[in-house]
Amino acid sequence: MASIIDFTGICKNFKVPERNTGRFSMFKNFFMRKHKIINALKNVTFSIEEGDIVGYIGPNGAGKSTTIKIMSGILTPSSGTCIIDGLVPWQNRKNFVKNIGVVFGQRSQLWWDVPVIDSFELLKDIYKIPNEQFKETLEILNKSLNLSELLGRPLRQLSLGQKMKCELAGSLLHRPKILFLDEPTIGLDAVTKLAVRDFIKYINQTWHTTIILTTHDMSDIEALTNKIILIGKGQILYQGSFDNIKNKYSSIKTIEIEFAKEYDSIELEGYETIEHNKKFATLKNLPTTEFHTKNFVNQISEKYEIVDFQVTSLGVDEILAKLYKEYKL
Amino acid sequence: MLYKNYLKMHLKSSFQYRYNMMFITFNQILINISEILAVYLLFSQFNSVAGWTFYQSLLMMGIVYTVFSLTECFARGYDEFPKLIKSGELDRFLIRPVNIHYQIFGSKIEFTKLARVILGIVISIIAIVNINVDWNILKVLVLISTYICGIFVIFGLFVLSAGISIYTVENLEFLNILTNGSKELAYYPINIYAKWLTRIFTFIIPIACFNYLPLSYILEIGSIPSWLCAISPLLGMLFVIPCIIFFNLSLRKYKSTGT
Repeated sequence: MASIIDFTGICKNFKVPERNTGRFSMFKNFFMRKHKIINALKNVTFSIEEGDIVGYIGPNGAGKSTTIKIMSGILTPSSGTCIIDGLVPWQNRKNFVKNIGVVFGQRSQLWWDVPVIDSFELLKDIYKIPNEQFKETLEILNKSLNLSELLGRPLRQLSLGQKMKCELAGSLLHRPKILFLDEPTIGLDAVTKLAVRDFIKYINQTWHTTIILTTHDMSDIEALTNKIILIGKGQILYQGSFDNIKNKYSSIKTIEIEFAKEYDSIELEGYETIEHNKKFATLKNLPTTEFHTKNFVNQISEKYEIVDFQVTSLGVDEILAKLYKEYKL
Repeated sequence: MLYKNYLKMHLKSSFQYRYNMMFITFNQILINISEILAVYLLFSQFNSVAGWTFYQSLLMMGIVYTVFSLTECFARGYDEFPKLIKSGELDRFLIRPVNIHYQIFGSKIEFTKLARVILGIVISIIAIVNINVDWNILKVLVLISTYICGIFVIFGLFVLSAGISIYTVENLEFLNILTNGSKELAYYPINIYAKWLTRIFTFIIPIACFNYLPLSYILEIGSIPSWLCAISPLLGMLFVIPCIIFFNLSLRKYKSTGT
């Protein structure tokens, strides 16, 4: 499949005023502004294929928002080229933005005091959506998100989850080819989170929408994306499938053991003792040891008398934390 | 039409807070009436200020009230531009396939200001009835163009301050001086101020073009050639052009800095 987003060597520098502190700092700041250059993005290169759901992850301040802003044409990069759907986002802006939808998780695009449906009608005018298509799209969104009860109420009366559903619907009314979601599940309860995820998947399948989402919720990444791009300190650190990373780290197991009696110390070749308290201990296999249940039981029963044990792999959040640590983010 | 839809939305929004709207309107009219009273009291002591009578001065206030409030009502988005930047609303405008200026106009429409517009028109009518003028068609045309010029100049000031706020981000009081200060200045004939101030507000910010100059043509006073006074409102309107150019350049800067 053809790539729909091509980012080549994008750099973005910001000039920020340096603020002095201390005596007379206010005057100094006012008259002699020193500037320092911050490189928000350094030589960022990646491509995204049509129909992909891409998770764009990285710690706070890594450059995620800057990238999204460049991709949606709000910012112009300092250097590098970016072609999205055959267009340069920051040139011929009006033509470009017809094909994208953006949801900022923390900010609303809908009107606070008027019924949601009125906001939708306004969007219909803004995007010049034909009547027939608007009705049809609304019907589809209505069915998959259960909006019918919400549309007649002003936004301020809706709960956070209901608002997010309406935001999603609002950004899809013009059936964009590309959808940017900035933390779409932030603050949502479990049920709504699942509903939003299902909906994102559904849209991706039915309309073949390319979706780029930023999130700190790793379960979103696991449930939705077929590709991740990891960014840190303005540089792309990894791009590819999430499974690769998961496999790399999931070979490390944590084993919690309950012993029949108390031991002074627990030592097992190939394993590291993380915690030991009377009858209980937590072990971890060293990267050199491949964990195998049968071998492990044989090995430990030779030395100690055990009652029970439980094996867990690293969680997705832990994997990410490890990854950040590895890249020194 | 999109603008009609914007109007509808703002009307619906403000009617959510009916009492609030009524109080704001009442409050604003009260302020304006007290301002007029202050001018009245001034003139009751002195009969005339720098050769201007009460009703001539009242006409100037009427013009300012009408044009300023009308511009505030429909172009409030420019006046509150720093808010649009801070809330991220400007970013939102940039991802819509509609002209930015159109969206700024649509972002805020303050119907409460319309009460002031009506007050301004009423004052203007009272003043016009009471001043001594031999009306002819040309004078009527000049008067009408004076109002239009006022709208253009005030709008230009709004756009200018919006453009500046892209650089400063914070809503500096200085920007308020630009818009509100100019307004207050225009309550009185501009020639009563110090010469340097008069020059600034004639040649740089053309307040005089909807104030002293056209009125001196209509009233047939002053020493400036009358043809120049007659076309001054037309010249004043041009002020809006550099303002819009400046704004558009600033916006381009915003896109590259993302302040």
